[in-house]
Amino acid sequence: MMRHLQTLPLIVILMGVAGFASFVPGLHAFVLRDYEIGRAFIYAGAIMLFLTVMLGIVTQGRPSRQRMRGPLITLLGSYLVLPLWLAFPFLGAMEGATLVDGWFEMVSSFTTTGATLYADTATVPPSVHLWRAMVGWGGGAFILIAAAAVLSPLNLGGREVTTGRSIGQRGERGAFGSAVADPVRRFLMAAVVVGPTYVALTVLLWSGLLILGSSGLQGLCIAMSTLATSGITCGQSVGANGAGVWGEGLVYLFLLLALSRRLMPGPAVTDRRTALWQDPELRLAAAILITLPLLLLLRHWLGSLDVSAQSETRSAIKALWGAMFSTLSFLTTTGFVSADWGAAQSWSGLTTPGLIFLGLAILGGGVATTAGGVKLLRIYALTRHGQRELERIIHPNSVGGEGLAARRLRREGAFFAWVFFMLFAMSIAALMLAFSLAGLEFQSALILTISALTTTGPLVNVVAEVPLELSTIGMPAQILAGAGMILGRIEILALIALFSLGEQRR
Amino acid sequence: MKVIICGAGQVGWQIARQLSGEKNDVTIVDVNPDLVRRATEALDVQGVAGFASHPEVLAKAGARDADLIIAATYSDEVNMITCQVAHSVFGVTRKIARLRAQEYLKPAYADLYRENHLPIDVVISPEFEVAEAALQRLAAPATFDTEIFMNGKAQLLGIALTEECPVLNTSLRQLDGLFPTLRAIVVAVRREGRLFAPDANDQLYAQDNAYIFVHSEDVNRALEIFGKKTKKQERVIIIGGGNVGLAVARALEARSDRIRAKIIEKDRARAEYAADALERTIVLNGDGMDLDILNEAAIDKADVLLAVTDDDKTNILAAVRAKQLGCPMAIALVNDPTLAPLMGPLDIDAYINPRATTVSSILRHIRHGKVRAIYSVGDGEAEMIEAQVLSTSPLSGRLVREIEFPEGVLVGAVMKGDKVVKPTGDLRIEAGDVIALFAMASDVAEVERLLQVSIDFF
Repeated sequence: MMRHLQTLPLIVILMGVAGFASFVPGLHAFVLRDYEIGRAFIYAGAIMLFLTVMLGIVTQGRPSRQRMRGPLITLLGSYLVLPLWLAFPFLGAMEGATLVDGWFEMVSSFTTTGATLYADTATVPPSVHLWRAMVGWGGGAFILIAAAAVLSPLNLGGREVTTGRSIGQRGERGAFGSAVADPVRRFLMAAVVVGPTYVALTVLLWSGLLILGSSGLQGLCIAMSTLATSGITCGQSVGANGAGVWGEGLVYLFLLLALSRRLMPGPAVTDRRTALWQDPELRLAAAILITLPLLLLLRHWLGSLDVSAQSETRSAIKALWGAMFSTLSFLTTTGFVSADWGAAQSWSGLTTPGLIFLGLAILGGGVATTAGGVKLLRIYALTRHGQRELERIIHPNSVGGEGLAARRLRREGAFFAWVFFMLFAMSIAALMLAFSLAGLEFQSALILTISALTTTGPLVNVVAEVPLELSTIGMPAQILAGAGMILGRIEILALIALFSLGEQRR
Repeated sequence: MKVIICGAGQVGWQIARQLSGEKNDVTIVDVNPDLVRRATEALDVQGVAGFASHPEVLAKAGARDADLIIAATYSDEVNMITCQVAHSVFGVTRKIARLRAQEYLKPAYADLYRENHLPIDVVISPEFEVAEAALQRLAAPATFDTEIFMNGKAQLLGIALTEECPVLNTSLRQLDGLFPTLRAIVVAVRREGRLFAPDANDQLYAQDNAYIFVHSEDVNRALEIFGKKTKKQERVIIIGGGNVGLAVARALEARSDRIRAKIIEKDRARAEYAADALERTIVLNGDGMDLDILNEAAIDKADVLLAVTDDDKTNILAAVRAKQLGCPMAIALVNDPTLAPLMGPLDIDAYINPRATTVSSILRHIRHGKVRAIYSVGDGEAEMIEAQVLSTSPLSGRLVREIEFPEGVLVGAVMKGDKVVKPTGDLRIEAGDVIALFAMASDVAEVERLLQVSIDFF
């Protein structure tokens, strides 16, 4: 089986997987006796499988000509081609959806962004919700596998920070590194390592949510969106779907997985041998997750001093939990909002600190995880570098300690982190400019830009006081947003590596 | 006692000299036949040329009936194997090895040197000893020499007297009357280069160097009386990040009293290694002689500078430069004992001689038992000997004033049980007491006769 698959281009394999997957919402619709939608999914699935087989026969056994760039081209190609392919069943099921609508929805799901054009979720059939959540879940698995099989061996996706070598350079022989030359084989091997855990964790979370009282579809959607940090829900938020605050607590635990790649199988970027509490990413995340909710609470508490103290402790705990959950949710670029967040906001009558979520989303989760943003490891490298530079102001000739790895992280690692951070900032500026040209006003452009680049779709509903209706922003802006999501997902450094590797060949 | 010393280097040579002078049967082993020949000519020892760890060589050196083997060759591994061979093949009962590499000395691996593993009774590490000595110097900043005796309950202090000293021109007898509760004895005075044991009518003058044996609880009081202010040393600059510098910095970090140390190390890789091993200490990469680096380390605000590179001249020059830049105290590591007289004219407050520290610590372990500690004062001019009084000794059961000590011998303190008391004429010495004696080199033999070590000890 594996040997046969290996002879196919990766994209064809992914297309086939998509074909099979679209039977799931199809059958789901039949169970719900929604035959029209069920037929749309199943016919689309059948056609997709048929086309995949044809494509497979044509492309089988063609050797990859671009050994270095090949995997990166496949990665970029997947994000360009697959959303259109995945939109096929979506367009059949959603009446009146244009091609751009379908493409946008699928890009948004596949990049684990989770922004949707359908602000009123009730108008979307449940099977289509399931399809969106499944695509998001698949997108999460895809980036986990790609990070291990494609980005990491090429010294990309956060690995450049720890190795300190320039991007696109192969070197260390990792589990999926240069020891296995064939990218498709490498990808499949990584899938075998990552896949079972990913599925098992999803099922675990789903069963947990079911036990806590969530409905089947809601629970599955949330479980998938949590693992993939896509933030796609089937209409209702995490706390409001029956599982309540305990459900939120459970989701909180699983969101922690997106803080460091160490918590998932496959090659980790940071050193697995160090203790968990010494992991730079987890330490930084812990600092953020503890201090920020307390600061938010303090702010509310100070604001509510003059408000009559009615059931003070209870509402304080609610507000704290709301802040805690939302902080983690946006730090991992998921975008679930706690049911208590509203309580936390309205408690003291202070205005929403939505800007904090923009900042959190830019920080992002762990490297090589499903989270987007700048990523914690890079932030950590920059902080350590800054700290060291301050020391050097006092003692210009001083030598920093803590070992070779820490020194490399502070020196070369921080350099690459800085380059990435600058590229990220520049792409924010460029995308905002483009949105402005497409007719968006400043605030909407800012929120949408960061939402797209950090793959945190729900930001558009939370940050501004009036949620941004994506269906009203016009086609050019939607296409721009979709492009931004792809850029944010595969990281700009990967794009640069793609072109620079091409240059080297010539 | 039959002793085999492997390695005729500086340390081996000194120990051989010391032990052969004490009428021991000493055999020296070295790969270099020239060194062995020179040792046999200069000292009262036998010599065997050959590789120390080879059983045949050891057999030739008489390992079969040797009581003690001291492995002090330049190689740690040879020293280890020598001890193993001496133990397994010849059954030598006591084995002392010098190990340099810090890796072998980590407390976590101390189990390694057990009898059924790697049979070494005493591991001597020169760097460690030197670091200890440096720390002692740091602890008593106003002194030029210190050594700890009687399980840390007494201390020998070397104090350079200045005009500020309030007890100048006072006879020692009067001094005793003035401070009856001060448990301190002036055991030696160096005046115009000559070291002598003072008697009760002698007076102290400015520019004298006085050696004072003092109860450890009275150290600060004694320093005050002799005109030295005790100031806590908070800022320490260490030049040289080698094993010695690193060990000192580590020990300083481990202390609770927040001493701020800075290390200046020339070699980048070594500096990085030191920085990795330390937490609070700031490591600067640069030449310890460089003015800019010294200013960066804030030499003018530092309390003490410790120059412990492997080069004597660098150490001396760095110490001089630090003094000139306003550092109140400078300590230099000096390997060459002939450089010691330069310390005074160069205004270097104290120096550490690694060879002397290693030799005295090896000697201490050899004499472990009746003679418990020995410290050589000056350039081997005198010794401070700590010993247990045996019942066979002529000392036992007599009052201090009845004992006929030679002219150059003074009693520093007597420890009864675990209480250290100041010796007075009416104090009765009993068997089992520990006595600390200062003895001029020429009187050491007589002291040993008094202690009867020659009969009872070995």
